[in-house]
Amino acid sequence: MTAFLIRRLFATVILLIVISAVTYAIFFLLPRLAGETTYGLATQYVGRNPTPSAVHQVEQQLGLNKPVWQQYWDFLTGIVTGTHYRSGSINDYCGPPCFGFSFKNQLPVWPQMISDAPVTLSLAVGAAVLWLIGGVLIGVISALKRGSIFDRLSMGTALAAVSLPVFFTGLIALDLFSYKWPIFPNVQYVGITQNPLLWAKNLVLPWVVLAFLYAALYARLTRAGMLETLNEDYIRTARAKGLPERTVIVKHALRAALTPILTIFGMDLGLLLGGAILTEVTFSLHGLGMFTIEAINNQDLPEIMGVTMFAAFCIVIANMIVDMLYAVVDPRVSH
Amino acid sequence: MKRRRYLGPAGVGAVAALALALAACGGSSPSSSSSPTSTSHFNEAINTVVNPSSHKGGTIIYDLTNVPDSTDPGNTYYAYNWNFTRLYATPLMTYKSCPGACGEQLVPALATGPGVASNNNMTWTFHIKPNVKFSDGQTVTSQDVKYAVERTFDRAVLPNGPTYFPVLLAGNAAKYPGPYKDRSKNLMGLTAIDTPNPTTIIFHLNKPFADFNYVAAIPQTAPVPPNKDTGPKYQLNVISTGPYKFQSYTLNKQLVLVPNPYWKQSDDPQVKQLASKIIVNMNVNAQDIDNRLLAGDIQVNMAGTGVQAATRGRIMSTPSLKAQSDNPVTGFLWFAYINTKVPPFTNVACRRAVEYAADKVTLQDAYGGPLLGGAIASTAMPPTVKGYQKFDLYNALSQPNGDLTAAKAQLKACGHPNGFTTNIAYRSDRPTEVAAAQALQAGLARVGIKATLKGYPSGTYYSNFAGSPSYVHTHGLGIDFGGWGADWPDAWGWFDEIANGNAIAPAGNTNISELNDPLVNKWLADMQTATSQAQSNSYANKIDMEVMKQAVMLPIVYSKALDYRPANLTNVYVQEYYGMYNYGVIGTK
Repeated sequence: MTAFLIRRLFATVILLIVISAVTYAIFFLLPRLAGETTYGLATQYVGRNPTPSAVHQVEQQLGLNKPVWQQYWDFLTGIVTGTHYRSGSINDYCGPPCFGFSFKNQLPVWPQMISDAPVTLSLAVGAAVLWLIGGVLIGVISALKRGSIFDRLSMGTALAAVSLPVFFTGLIALDLFSYKWPIFPNVQYVGITQNPLLWAKNLVLPWVVLAFLYAALYARLTRAGMLETLNEDYIRTARAKGLPERTVIVKHALRAALTPILTIFGMDLGLLLGGAILTEVTFSLHGLGMFTIEAINNQDLPEIMGVTMFAAFCIVIANMIVDMLYAVVDPRVSH
Repeated sequence: MKRRRYLGPAGVGAVAALALALAACGGSSPSSSSSPTSTSHFNEAINTVVNPSSHKGGTIIYDLTNVPDSTDPGNTYYAYNWNFTRLYATPLMTYKSCPGACGEQLVPALATGPGVASNNNMTWTFHIKPNVKFSDGQTVTSQDVKYAVERTFDRAVLPNGPTYFPVLLAGNAAKYPGPYKDRSKNLMGLTAIDTPNPTTIIFHLNKPFADFNYVAAIPQTAPVPPNKDTGPKYQLNVISTGPYKFQSYTLNKQLVLVPNPYWKQSDDPQVKQLASKIIVNMNVNAQDIDNRLLAGDIQVNMAGTGVQAATRGRIMSTPSLKAQSDNPVTGFLWFAYINTKVPPFTNVACRRAVEYAADKVTLQDAYGGPLLGGAIASTAMPPTVKGYQKFDLYNALSQPNGDLTAAKAQLKACGHPNGFTTNIAYRSDRPTEVAAAQALQAGLARVGIKATLKGYPSGTYYSNFAGSPSYVHTHGLGIDFGGWGADWPDAWGWFDEIANGNAIAPAGNTNISELNDPLVNKWLADMQTATSQAQSNSYANKIDMEVMKQAVMLPIVYSKALDYRPANLTNVYVQEYYGMYNYGVIGTK
């Protein structure tokens, strides 16, 4: 088991380095290969209507005249040790972990992302709990009551839910429950430490809307997995041995059916932690998704690069955790 | 100087001052009652004050779909932000707080009176009010105003604001780097500004400039204490001279203002300190802003560009909602440039063929129709600019679907009787502009002008594409969509950047037609040696007419917006200079 964990950790680090190299190449190497000058590249980092001196300053601060490999190495070491962006007497410091420096906002990217992360974390984790419990429960019941009205109704609803985008269900939910019947009025993020009750109340609509979409997927997946597992010989054996039906379902059937659920859950949660863009925009929640939109709108490349790396980091880490959980769910994996 | 929308400060003012202003403007006289009336009607806030009140207290919440370019008054170029920053930054001059045309009148704010010109409009002297204090208790001096101007010279630190000072000031202005680099040498090192005593500031210009009082009304003249300036981070905690001060600002998320205890009404009569808290939420979903506005959860859509399409129908079909809305002219003009250097538009007759052939009705529909897009335009400047006179050279008003006979005659005159090919540039991420480009393409096809549509991202439209003459020439962008809002409401403020041959720039160009007409250039220069506003205004119609004769702009609509004002807002009216509600004076019940 320990060797497995070490292998996975090592692979994760390598993967993160590869992702950072690819991301860096997209932002800094490809434009150069396409004929962009270092001055032109720097122009994209300064904001609107820059003066030539402002562009030259950023050109120097980013070290764009250095070889690309050296720029990348500086970027990598900056993540660990921090970076000084120097030009003449100007010295902008970006402390570790330095994921870049926004010359538009004149602030390091990392603290900005971190200040937005609690919103996305609250949204993603809350919704994930809802959809995991709801989706798996509905899937299991549907599988056990295959062909029943409940099964048909829940699977029909699941199909509809998967088909409806968040910005549609979100706006409908807001219109109904925030404005027509103001059960959840004035939805906006309040920190959990500030007012836990209001935090939860204001997140109920986004959680439900987001979970509605994902729960549908999980219900269908769980149902399919359970139906397949319930036909396995070892389930018949377990029942023949006289094990209680509850034990057969939960310990034997569900455990086996959970493996693909776990896989997709890791991917989904990782993706959401990198920013639940549609949900955040629909409910005006200032999380990483909104940070991304804002960075794109402002063409703030350091921020775009920072959030890209952070999102990739979340997905890779979530998958690593899932891989480790495989070992718990299915002991064969660690061998 | 830019395309950010019509800007300008307005103000609040004591109830007495407001009543006086309204009387002067000929508007309905507001009562000074502290119990606002609840009956109102459509467009009421365009010419009168809705719910006049001196009631203090309450919270006003502004929502914004994106983020301001900066909350630093020295680093912003958005109209709504020039309107809003007066709540915490007092420039030398401002615009009178009153509804209707009087809202375009310049009045002193931090200054005791308008700047006094001498030396053929090349020297401007302002006296500032004594005993005005910053929100940290320091007394404001003329050196703080000088420093505020100095810091805007460093475009690496403050890149967003207008650039009138580096262009206009004499002395070492052309080479002055700003106070941040080598602070010991450059702090107070701008030689074009003298501060002989703590209440006097003298600007020395490199050429006559009669409009300098307008320049002094830009937020860049709001004082900044050098010992509290943190450069690019100053926007996180601006030291206030207005009725409110920063309580907190989480960058690009939320700004909270609370009353500035050091501010007195006499410091700036054009703004008020009524609400006990002002909150600005940024990056809020546009449709959600409308819903919150109608539900009364927020009070103001900060961008001032009106409600979304879905909400417009709801408002216009619900009498109670319609009664609380206004449809003002924003002062913005949507149009298409016709480039004089791209063949066959080097021939004026070919340009005139486009003017005649365009279907103005479908173009107007593309921008939202008469109510929401605006009225069909026939001139190169909107009616809100001083000296405007209506004319219709190309029958845009008499034959709004296009005068095809006249268009064909012009095509013959330009040597292309069967039409020609060209390209239309537009911003592909703006649905209205996409629809307008398609409408223009269809309109021109009726006379054989085959136009190919070329869409570009709006973020780099002016820097890399339509605003780059070399790109325009090499890619044959004969027609380029755009829009304009002047920095101040006279013909110079309107035309200098879009029609002056001297304004043609290699990048970020806004004279996209590349018009370099000796007459227009001369008249614009002459405007700045005028000795009175009336004399200056006399050039407006001449320039407008000449620009249209040259057919370098295809005017489309004088922009309008549908604004909603919740019933609990007080002192609400449209300040004509901004083309939106006056944020400086509103309160809440």
